[in-house]
Amino acid sequence: MARYSAQVVIIGGGATGVGILRDLSLRGISSVLVEQGDLAHGTSSRFHGLLHSGARYAVKDPVSATECIEENKILKHIAPGCVDTTGGWFVQLPGDEVDYAEAWLKGCETAGIPVQEVPLREALQREPLLAKEAARVFEVPDAAVDGFKLVWENAKSARRYGGRYLTYHRVEAILREGEGVAGVRGENLLTGESFTVEAGIVVNATGAWADRLAASAGASLEVVRDKGILLAFNHRLFHRVINRLRPPGDGDIFVPHETITILGTTSEWVDTPLDNQPTGREVERMMALGKALLPAIAGKRVIRAFAGVRPLHRSDSELAGGSDGGMGREVSRTFALIDHEAEDGVKGFLSIVGGKFTTYRLMAEKVSDWVAAKLANDVPCRTATEPLQPELPAHLSRQAKVLLPCAAAGKMLQRLGQDAVPVLEAIARDPGKGELLCECEMVTVAEVEKIVADEDAHHLADVRRKTRLGMGTCQGAFCTYRALPLMWREGGKYDPLSEELVRFLNQRWKGIRPVLWGDQLRETELTRAIYAGLLALRESGTNGDGGTLCGMD
Amino acid sequence: MWDGLVIGGGLAGLTAGIRALERGKKILIVSEGVGSLAFAGGVLDFGRVRELRRLEKHPYAYVGEAAQRAFSYFLQHNPAYTGTWGRQGSVLTPLGTLRETEILPRRLDASPLFKANRIVVAVPEGLKDFFPEIVKANLQKQFPSGSVRLKRLSVQEFADWRAAGKSIPGTVYAEFWGTERGKTALKRYIGEIAGEIAGKTAGEADSEAIVFPGLPAIGCPELEEVLGETSLPVVGMTSFPPSAIGLALYDSLTRKVKALGGELLNGVGVDRVEVESTWARRAIIRSKGKETALRAEAFVLATGGFLGRGLIATPAEVKETVFGLPLYVPPVRGGSSFLGEQPYARTGVEVDDRLRPRDPATGEVLLENVFVAGRILAHWDPWLEHCGGGVSLSSGLLAGELL
Repeated sequence: MARYSAQVVIIGGGATGVGILRDLSLRGISSVLVEQGDLAHGTSSRFHGLLHSGARYAVKDPVSATECIEENKILKHIAPGCVDTTGGWFVQLPGDEVDYAEAWLKGCETAGIPVQEVPLREALQREPLLAKEAARVFEVPDAAVDGFKLVWENAKSARRYGGRYLTYHRVEAILREGEGVAGVRGENLLTGESFTVEAGIVVNATGAWADRLAASAGASLEVVRDKGILLAFNHRLFHRVINRLRPPGDGDIFVPHETITILGTTSEWVDTPLDNQPTGREVERMMALGKALLPAIAGKRVIRAFAGVRPLHRSDSELAGGSDGGMGREVSRTFALIDHEAEDGVKGFLSIVGGKFTTYRLMAEKVSDWVAAKLANDVPCRTATEPLQPELPAHLSRQAKVLLPCAAAGKMLQRLGQDAVPVLEAIARDPGKGELLCECEMVTVAEVEKIVADEDAHHLADVRRKTRLGMGTCQGAFCTYRALPLMWREGGKYDPLSEELVRFLNQRWKGIRPVLWGDQLRETELTRAIYAGLLALRESGTNGDGGTLCGMD
Repeated sequence: MWDGLVIGGGLAGLTAGIRALERGKKILIVSEGVGSLAFAGGVLDFGRVRELRRLEKHPYAYVGEAAQRAFSYFLQHNPAYTGTWGRQGSVLTPLGTLRETEILPRRLDASPLFKANRIVVAVPEGLKDFFPEIVKANLQKQFPSGSVRLKRLSVQEFADWRAAGKSIPGTVYAEFWGTERGKTALKRYIGEIAGEIAGKTAGEADSEAIVFPGLPAIGCPELEEVLGETSLPVVGMTSFPPSAIGLALYDSLTRKVKALGGELLNGVGVDRVEVESTWARRAIIRSKGKETALRAEAFVLATGGFLGRGLIATPAEVKETVFGLPLYVPPVRGGSSFLGEQPYARTGVEVDDRLRPRDPATGEVLLENVFVAGRILAHWDPWLEHCGGGVSLSSGLLAGELL
């Protein structure tokens, strides 16, 4: 039985949880974060990767709009390596309500979101795939953000200040002591061993699971689980974020990331956080909706479909809306901090729900302020000013470009930041380590080795989240095989080999299954030829429908 | 005017062409790609033919006894291969696990490993997509009573590749082993191992075996001579794509077409075929910007499935690309587990027992002089049923006899 003790235990390793861990660590408050899977495996990586400018909320939700623009500026400053400052456009199409544009412009002005109209001719030159019939186009400071990376940089920064995190640790109970909490107890899912964290304050940052956790401690909390589906295309179809200028609806945002583009999203209330499997019908609908902004969509290759479950907070006053599908946008996207002492008489227990990825830092700040007040700690918050990573020395980029092709060098530096140093050293010692293991995302052998060696990598999927291995066009057909020996060499992190392979293939399959047409179907046939034919892999020790394998991802 | 025009130059198309040429027909093979033999590792899976034949509409149900004929026919014409009808042999996968198959290059036959109490795995330096430690661990797991060890093999010829940090593709290694220098290096290496073993066990050489990845297991008789001289069994391995053995099989089939006087047009796709009532008349090909019409008495459609682009899927429908034939399309495409049942795989053209395309709705024969072969046939899954080679060979052979 492993025992840990700290002043605070945070449950949930999404953006909010790691944000709190970092904030508290910077204030010198000892904290342990507990996460049942890998960091960022849930909603924090299952979204379109849009760093909102706030413009999307300018009309209906001015509070969110103001929060977003402020956080947008802060994140560009503290996490430049995680943000691609693409800019974003709002595009009005014929038939879109003309008056909305005026209300929207006013809302943006009130919130302090800079807007500039783009002449139509220029717009179509800069985005040739955009619908030719666009009526008006406005530029705002939207950006693309890498959810995996931002979460990990928060965690690493927190660790530099003494914060600790335990991944693949599931909380089974919140320990009580009199009227208050005394920590948590649970199971290390990798070893089966039980563990406890003793702490006088428990923060519930479990997102879509938050109500269940609160209930287990006798506290009440109402969370609406709002599923949104997303499609990933294998090209950068647009250079910037493209929004539709109308009241927020389904399938009206395109966000470019690296070599792909993500189209999102939908809003549908679901019963369980595990309901993150898009259906064929949902995909069809997204394709139809996306066509308005991108008329050539039918000919574009979709490499996968995935879904995230937003945890929206529903307070009593908002219950009237009912729970029919599509109501997710009627519930506020702002966040709520619930002190369960005031609500339910459970001392030292706090839940943070709602909000959005863009405002994770602000949510963390509010929680940390509350915690600090409880602990009579008066160190001010520094997360709005102190960058997550120290700035990269210029010679690193030069060195990388000597050792690797330019594009691969740039991508690696962006992914790894400071951690690129040992990777470059390894390649300098043995040029063979500079070979590209993943040709789609240009990931070298040395980089995968570095990530695999990381104590936080337990499964191929963990390596994928940190390197983008298997996330490109081939969706793992070749690089999955090539990553195997690297995982294997690091002291047998999984056994037997084939089970891990089957698990990884099934995780990837979840996202490919709803988009079986065109080249993705060809790729599927090839991947089955390799893994079922050539390597003779079989489903083994699974229930045959892959269900239990994928629960965590 | 051709006697037969074969559309598609993979295993099924080439087999159809060769068989028809042997029967004295004048044959043209038009192929957009090069088939998928490079992915198959050079072995031919037949699967459980007797059971599969009982499945309604499975290609084996239509080709009937042609399956067994195709089996013997292939072995007769490809002496580097071995197999026994109705029985399975074993080969090593690229990860060193055992895989069952029906027709395999003799050099890949893993049966000596079952008798060996000592296995040496050759580790050619820098060989791409070959993971010696994993292979060793898997062999150890499957042959727990024997010992497994790795032995490095350094090849001077590839020193500059290594210095530049590049690994060496299996196809490049395979080519090297066929050269004089390669053969010499191989002889020396095997001699070394034999020497080490002789030193230790004197007289028990038959309980030893060498596992050797990346050998050109077919199409290189001089190398076989070298390997035949050694008293130690040398067991080759299938390899991750592209497979040198699969490519060698492809080459030998295309050479055969030419040797028999057939014509092979590569890199050319058939745009469409003109049809009069139920007879196909002229195939229109597009090459260098202009259209050419090719007349033939009969046609073979062996353009492959989704991978070969014989079939193309959009979100709404699936199309057959040459004739626009109506297809069997399952109501749902994807199954829940990746390696399990996948309905999409059974998409394809339904046929009668002369391999002529039928309308799936009415069962009516649509074209009298078109024979369909290979992956484009409906109602089978090569990866689940492990019968990709068998269905392609037998439907190809039958089509070649019907031309």
